[in-house]
Order: sequence, then C-alpha cells, then structure tokens
Amino acid sequence: MNEEKYQGKQPFHEEEDTQLLELATRHTKDMSRSEKAVSKTALIFENVVKIPFFRCQRCGECILSHTAFICSQRCPKRLRNGPCGGTGRGGTCEVYPEQKCVWYRIYKRARFLRRLFLLTRIEKIHNWNLEKTSAWMNVLQKRIEAPILFLKRKK
Amino acid sequence: MSLSQKIDTGGFLFTAELGPPKSCNPDAVRKKSVHFKNIVDGVNITDNQTAIVRLSSIAAAKILVDEGLEPVVQMTCRDRNRLALQSDLIGMSALGIENVLCLTGDHQRFGNHPEAKNVFDLDSIQLIATARMLRMGFFLSGEQMKRPPSLCIGGAANPFADPLEFRVLRLAKKIKAGAQFIQTQPVFDLDRFKTWMNRVREEGLDKKVAVLAGVMPVKSVRALTYMEDQVPGIFIPRELISRMKKAENPKEEGVKIAVETILCLKEVKGLRGIHLMPLMWESITPRIAEESGLLRKDSAAGRNTLSGKAKKTS
Repeated sequence: MNEEKYQGKQPFHEEEDTQLLELATRHTKDMSRSEKAVSKTALIFENVVKIPFFRCQRCGECILSHTAFICSQRCPKRLRNGPCGGTGRGGTCEVYPEQKCVWYRIYKRARFLRRLFLLTRIEKIHNWNLEKTSAWMNVLQKRIEAPILFLKRKK
Repeated sequence: MSLSQKIDTGGFLFTAELGPPKSCNPDAVRKKSVHFKNIVDGVNITDNQTAIVRLSSIAAAKILVDEGLEPVVQMTCRDRNRLALQSDLIGMSALGIENVLCLTGDHQRFGNHPEAKNVFDLDSIQLIATARMLRMGFFLSGEQMKRPPSLCIGGAANPFADPLEFRVLRLAKKIKAGAQFIQTQPVFDLDRFKTWMNRVREEGLDKKVAVLAGVMPVKSVRALTYMEDQVPGIFIPRELISRMKKAENPKEEGVKIAVETILCLKEVKGLRGIHLMPLMWESITPRIAEESGLLRKDSAAGRNTLSGKAKKTS
C-alpha cells in the first residue's frame, strides 16, 4: 500500500547529532498572566472541538496529525511512540481487555489515510509544563511543532 | 569479550534471563548465576517483572559482575521518571555494567501493587534515544557531562502482537533511536515468527541490529496456560498445549520442545541469537545449551562449576 514511504527519512543514527538533542523540549519560559488568560480562553474553544471528536486528553503537545487523528493519550500508559508489547489478538488493550488498543486503531486508520510514514517519526518526550494548556496557542507561540495536516503527494 | 564486541564481531549469541528474588538475599542470585556461567553471553535481569516488587535489577547485576558474568539490566519506564532513569543509566555504568535493555514495562494493574501510580514519563523508544544521548555525553536537558557512560543499548520486540506490520515499523523506530540488539518475546508460534522475520529482512533491518529470538522452556501445562492468561502479548498455539497434556513426563517434553524450537530458529535467516527465558527454572540452561548445540568450545571449565564445587573464581 504505502510501503515505499514506510521507511520515511534517513535512519536516525545517520542524521546529525543536533537532531538527537531535540528529543526533549527545552523548558519554555513561564507564561505571563495575559498569555495564561489567552491560553485558557483558547482551551475552551479547543475543548469544544477536540473532546467530542478526538476524545482529547489535553496534553497541550498535540500530535493528532501524526497519529491519524486519534488521540494517542487515551492509552493507559500514555505512550506517544506506538503500542506496547501487550496488544492482544485482534488488537485488544492489555490493561483493559474489553477495549481496543488505541494504537491498533491508529494503525488501521493511518493505513487507510496513507499516513503510515508519519508513525515512523520519533515523538519528543512530553513536556509536562504544557499539560492542560491550549495546543493551538502553543503552536502559534512556537512552543510545539505545527501539525502536518496536508500531505505532499509524490507524482 | 563484552556483549557489544560480540554483537560487532558476529557469531551466534546466546543470552539468558534471571529473575531476582523477592527478598534481599544475594546468595539466591549467586546460586542461580552458577547455571549461566561460561555458557551464556549475557544474563538479563528483570526489573520488577509483571509489576511485582523484587530485588533491584542494578543491584542484582552488580552481584553478577562480581561473579564474573555479563549482566544485561532491564530498565522499565513504569517506575521512574526521566531524572531517575538518567541517574540509573549513569549509575550502572559507574558500577561496570554496560548493557541495558530498554522496556516500557508492564502496567501495574497486573502486579501486587495495583493501586500504585505509574509514571511512563518516557516510553521505550525515547528511553533508547536517551541512553544514546547519555553515551554521547549529553543529558536530556542538553547539558554536557564530563565523563559519558559506555552503554550497549537493547530493545524488545513482540512479533506476535497484532498488527504484524506495525511491529516491524516499531522495530525500525527502535533501531532509528539507537538500539544495538533486540530480544523478542518467547517464540511458541514458529510460523508467525518466520513471517515477522521475513518482513524484517525485507526492510533490511536484520543487518542494522542483532535480533535474538526468545525461547521459553516450560515445566507443565499449568505454566503454559498461566503464561497465556496472565502475561499480556503472549500467544500459545493449541497444538502445543495438547502436546504438553499428552506427555507422560511434562518436564522432559518441555525441554524437548525448547530444543526443537532452538534448532528450528537456528535455520532462520538473519537471526543473530537465542534469548533463553527459563522462568523459575534456571538450572535447565546448561542442558538445553548442550542439546541444541549452543555450548561454546571453551565452556568445559564452566561445566565443572555446575556441580557447585568450584564456585569461587579469582
């Protein structure tokens, strides 16, 4: 299906070392009072969209666009880089066997949307300072990466 | 020769697993380690396996280093945040342990402290990348350290969980993050393992990393069904259970199955070694190694120590 794109970019260890240094987001400046107020207001609007459609967990460091628009933070372990080794037959969650593994659903949808290559990215370590802040504001203020909404198709 | 050198030079690797005791008795670790001496290339030490509190894996690894073995410390993200993980990685290097297997860790719901708060600050892939960053001399904060630790970084893979494609993708991600060796979950379903390995070879991943297939000898049918029910991500084919049920001597049959599995796995292309997981049955390791031809030539001296006479070495 999307096998050529599967491997994505170059292997990690051949890239420059500076790439590795960006594994964890640096401590960002504390928000000023006015910024906090703006972020809180933005969060209200964001929640209206994201909670009913994506069951957003408000991590503030949104990677929805990489995970085929299913919130990966619904995973009981809150994994950001793919499923753990405990996925059962037919993709059941190891912690709550009555549920489907979130990453199983992400994989299925990513394959359908041809977004598999986005799953090969190594996601940054979560910055817990951004918890319960507006991801949209964080994108605007360049605290986090912008989402990849549209894909460039190769001809 | 250390494990990382053996990975670089090639050759068939053989590692085993040791579960630390549920008490502070160092002799229990030493007693188990006797079965591995001069037979295996590395001994994995589980880190609070299935979320049950046990002797710390770094402490147990230090005991093994003193005994002259090469331990592989398993490190899970369940119990520590990024501060503790980094300090443990540096600390174990200071104690002369360089091999680490980075895992996400079982959920605490399965263990004896289900009411605990989990951490999962990092996941296994990020932990692998962190270990590599430390090796390069940087903390996660970007700060530089004076003397970087020497680490040989490993990861785990489960070829049996669904979907198969995602498992290969995840393996690629672990290699991208910097894993040097990969140990898989125990192989019971050989066909599934072969299809997974085919996909790994197609992606050319077997050349970038040393894949070690897990093998678990079981004592009884009960152990098999326990594994299937209690340990997430392990699947056991029906034929295997019925074969164990029919056997007159289940222990012998268990060894036979393990040896057969190893002999089959040795034929699989691209596989670099075997990782034996004798669950509470460490004493069987030498026998399985001998019957499956994994014993090294220089291990005659090691066999003498099995009798327990020549325990102390300089």
